[in-house]
Amino acid sequence: MPSPTGVLAPSLTTFTRSVRSKGVSVESSIDNLVSLFKRRQIRDSRPCAVATAQLLRRVVETSKVTDISKLIERVRQIGQRLISAQPRELSIGNIVRRVLGVIREEVEEDREGETSGYSDAGTDSRPQTPKEQDSRTPEPSTLSSRSLTTSPLRHGEMDSILEEVGDERPQRPPLLTSHTSYAVTNTAPTVTSMFSLLSYPRSNIHSPTATPGSQSPSIHLSLSSQALANAGAVKDLKAEVVEGIHEILEELNQADDQIAGYALEHIHSNEVILTHTSSLTVQKFLLKAAAKRKFTVVHAEAYPNHHEATHADVIGRTKSESDDSLSSEVFQKTLTAAGITVVLIPDSAVFALMSRVNKVILDTHVVLVNGDIVAAAGAKALAKAAKLHSTPVVVLSGVYKLSPVYPFDPDALMEDGDPSKVITYEDGDFVDKIEIENPLFDYVPVELVSLYITNLGGHAPSYLHCIINDHYRAEDLDLDISDVYQ
Amino acid sequence: MPPKNPKAAKAKQKPQEEQREESLQAVVLADSFETRFVPFTLERPRCLLPLANTPLIEYTLEFLAHAGVQEVYVYCGSHAEQLEDYINASKWTSKSSPFRTLKVLKSTATSVGEAMRSLDQLDVITGDFLLVSGDVVSNMNLEPALLKHRARREKSKDAIMTMVLREAGVGHRTKSKGSRPVFVIDPAAERCLHYEEMGGRRGGSRYVTLDPELLTSHGEIEVRDDLIDCHIDICALDVLAQWSDNFDFQSLRKSFLRGVLKDYETYGKTVHTYIVTDQYAARVKSLRAYDAVSKDILGRWAYPLCPDSNLVPGQSYYFGRGKVYQENNVSLGRAAVVKRSVIGSGTSVGDGGMINRSTVGRRCRIGKNVTIEGAYIWDDVTVEDGSIIRQAIIANGTSIGKHCPIEPGALISFRAQIPENTKVSAESKIIRDRETGYSNDRKADDSDASSVASSRLIYRNPSASSSVSSISTLTSSDADLKSDRDASRRSSYRSDPSDDARENQDFHLEATGSILDGLQKSDPADTIMLELNGYRMSTNASQHEVRKAVVAAFMKRISNLIARDNTAGAAPLTLREAVKAVLTEYKSLVERTTFDSEAEEKVDQVDFLLLVQKEAMGRPNGDQLLLFMANEAYDLDVIEEDGVLQWWEDERSQEGEMGTVRVLSEQFITFLKEAEEDESEDEDDEEDDD
Repeated sequence: MPSPTGVLAPSLTTFTRSVRSKGVSVESSIDNLVSLFKRRQIRDSRPCAVATAQLLRRVVETSKVTDISKLIERVRQIGQRLISAQPRELSIGNIVRRVLGVIREEVEEDREGETSGYSDAGTDSRPQTPKEQDSRTPEPSTLSSRSLTTSPLRHGEMDSILEEVGDERPQRPPLLTSHTSYAVTNTAPTVTSMFSLLSYPRSNIHSPTATPGSQSPSIHLSLSSQALANAGAVKDLKAEVVEGIHEILEELNQADDQIAGYALEHIHSNEVILTHTSSLTVQKFLLKAAAKRKFTVVHAEAYPNHHEATHADVIGRTKSESDDSLSSEVFQKTLTAAGITVVLIPDSAVFALMSRVNKVILDTHVVLVNGDIVAAAGAKALAKAAKLHSTPVVVLSGVYKLSPVYPFDPDALMEDGDPSKVITYEDGDFVDKIEIENPLFDYVPVELVSLYITNLGGHAPSYLHCIINDHYRAEDLDLDISDVYQ
Repeated sequence: MPPKNPKAAKAKQKPQEEQREESLQAVVLADSFETRFVPFTLERPRCLLPLANTPLIEYTLEFLAHAGVQEVYVYCGSHAEQLEDYINASKWTSKSSPFRTLKVLKSTATSVGEAMRSLDQLDVITGDFLLVSGDVVSNMNLEPALLKHRARREKSKDAIMTMVLREAGVGHRTKSKGSRPVFVIDPAAERCLHYEEMGGRRGGSRYVTLDPELLTSHGEIEVRDDLIDCHIDICALDVLAQWSDNFDFQSLRKSFLRGVLKDYETYGKTVHTYIVTDQYAARVKSLRAYDAVSKDILGRWAYPLCPDSNLVPGQSYYFGRGKVYQENNVSLGRAAVVKRSVIGSGTSVGDGGMINRSTVGRRCRIGKNVTIEGAYIWDDVTVEDGSIIRQAIIANGTSIGKHCPIEPGALISFRAQIPENTKVSAESKIIRDRETGYSNDRKADDSDASSVASSRLIYRNPSASSSVSSISTLTSSDADLKSDRDASRRSSYRSDPSDDARENQDFHLEATGSILDGLQKSDPADTIMLELNGYRMSTNASQHEVRKAVVAAFMKRISNLIARDNTAGAAPLTLREAVKAVLTEYKSLVERTTFDSEAEEKVDQVDFLLLVQKEAMGRPNGDQLLLFMANEAYDLDVIEEDGVLQWWEDERSQEGEMGTVRVLSEQFITFLKEAEEDESEDEDDEEDDD
């Protein structure tokens, strides 16, 4: 679409290009991204996450830091700047935390390797590190992303533990009963994880208190001195961290497809599915199910911010520009082309139709630690209607959207958009005399959601904190708390 | 740092390669060459005035960055140093700036035309460029407009310009109410066929005159006055050439656009329009627009250009309950109510304060029980307890005493002090008293200064944004153009060209020329007057302008007389004789341009004397010249006694240099005053006094 002579307005595409080019210094890339965030030229969870990961990869690549604690500090600072540029976009913070986690993990591993003989290795950390190593052993050198493979791995692990423990999953809806077995049987590595489970029975104790928080500072210190001692190790470390970030990026790219992988479990023949707004994630999910089953989709248009994109989805035009660089499947097959009946309705008709709907599938912007979600405006009305009719609400969300932030002030997470979507600016009387609001997001409390499907599978709301504990290190959690609520 | 160098070199090479393919240049006219923001622009350029606590130029540069512009040339006139300092300290010149180059070009241009011509000479523009003024606020995506422009250029090299216009309905607050631009457009070709400004206070016609040929040669035409002209133009290089070729072009629309459209038959250049319907674009071109655009920004119409995007480094706004944009470190007293406002950091609001639909800058101290509604309060302002401010603009460093009611439309300029219990009446302008502070030699403006003169600029007033010339020229004179002024004073041509609204300059130059011609050829006064009147009618100039031209011509003639005599060796004419010679012969010229001999208030005569004073100001022996002129005019009964005295009393004649130049004349005035006391001797004494 961009003409050869055309000057590209800055966007994720141009940023991706510039962050890769050697001519652009890291500092200017950072500033560039900050201003892109500020200008909202990169927005929505995934583009933001991708841009953040790309930037941090470059930061790590170019860092000449020999002291790992300094690298961590730097990433942290950059993270804070990025977050304050778009404080309501929590996926930025998520990625920063993930990257910090990768660095810390590599460091600990390294340290473990070197100091395996020492006795002072920090007894606290022991239960965790063996598990890390072990979970990596099944495929030590394959490029297939670790976070991709380990996550289901750990997940399976966790699930089976949970099964043993039993009492931790009281709320799991009946719909899910098959899920655990599915995960176990379908993913090959789970077997190894079962092994690891057996061999390291303590590893499952993921209680937030036991793990990293307390031990990390001491690790740092002892570690940084050691790291200084042999620069070669640091170099390796750097390569590994870059690799880790690369895997995060890969995960970002594959999240939608992985989520779609669970479609057949949740969508059954002849169901009526209600969805809302234009979303690639939901689109892929439904398409996957459409390949095998026949069902009906009722699509609420999400006026005024996304109705055009929704219409385009339904008719089958090309995706909106925000997604262009991210997926190769820019040209999506429409649901109708896959033989699905699609009914487009205005948001106001949601309640009227809800009684006939079997399942509501929502895309989300952010999932918070307690399970509350921030989704496109209109989602809450939809979820409330669903609640009244006892229709299950399924939220699709990549793990990268899962934020460890607790919503103390939900208002602070809402963003108000441009009111001209509601009333055109031409209308002078309206502009002058009426206050017009156009919230971009809705805040849907956890009570209204029945199930979350991430790229790791389906989870009950109460289970989310486990995934979050798996993905974020406790010492990184308060990375930006002050920024978010300012 | 050896490893850095090769990198830098590489970095340089790359952009150059890219540049050939895709580089967009932009020219920002940071000086508006207008005076609508007096008195604030006396101390600060317009584009550094804060709009929702962010300098205007930031919005413009954000817009350019948004559009992917790579090279920016900021053209500044008045207060160039301030602007340069600001830009050099800003993020735009840092290494990570989205612009590859950002240059500040200082100039002494006094009009858009001059600026464009000097830009042409600089030869920095290499291709299509964006021409925007330094007060544009827009979140528009320019890409489609650029693509269309390029496509047109591919087809025909004559499509030299694309104007980006924002559609706005009838009676929109952001549109100017004064003179409304009317575009006649061929919608099929998106071509602008005709342009006119309608309404306006002074002389703007209420009709649009269309060439009948337009109707026959185009299948469909639209006549639209519902467009906000935000002065975003995509120009081809030819545009600069056009400016250079037509050295009389002064303003962007009135002369350039009309000129090009008029010459379509001859040169075939076309100007196109791109009408935006779904994004925000506006220009802060008057105080009224300032108010409207501020409201738009608070209402998030310009999203993401909102305060809580924190576009300027160091800002920390967040959007909270009650639609308040608040920075860190704001303390609100108990029971203080803040709604729909912006509050900068370090500001404290006392108990019981009420702030609604307002902007409050940083480090302000607002006392108890203060009501602020619809007002714009900039940084470091102190408002003591119990004051009430409505729809006023209060500039940096001002302090307002207790219980001051400030009525709608008041403009209080930098560091002014309002004592307790002072009522600031509606639509007044207040600047700080010069004696106590104005140390810089940039003398306070001659006139509007401390006078609490009625500010016609007030945004409440529908006529506000009309034309500059509606204000007395003296008032309007050098506000925006102060730095240029000195330059022009030194120039050979004495008629202070920065003085007037641009469109009247042509008249002034032409008229002065023709009168001078008449004087030199010693044509009879009637002939000169006839010519002058004809010319006045045709350009619709005001009597004030006519007087100004007459005065300028007289002055020039007088100085010619003296100079000629010096060189030619003829009987040397003293200054006084020269004055006498000119005035006696042509006194009817003055008489016929002043119409108030019957009236009580000698407005025209005062005006004449003021003009004389102003002209005299820059000349050698100006004080003498003024004395002789006044005296002679009085003797010849051109100016009555009341006129002279009223002139003397007039505040405008007292300030700054104006004050110094009239010192000599004081004796004349004292004489007049004495004479008034015993009128019988009036005639005789007058002779002695000389």
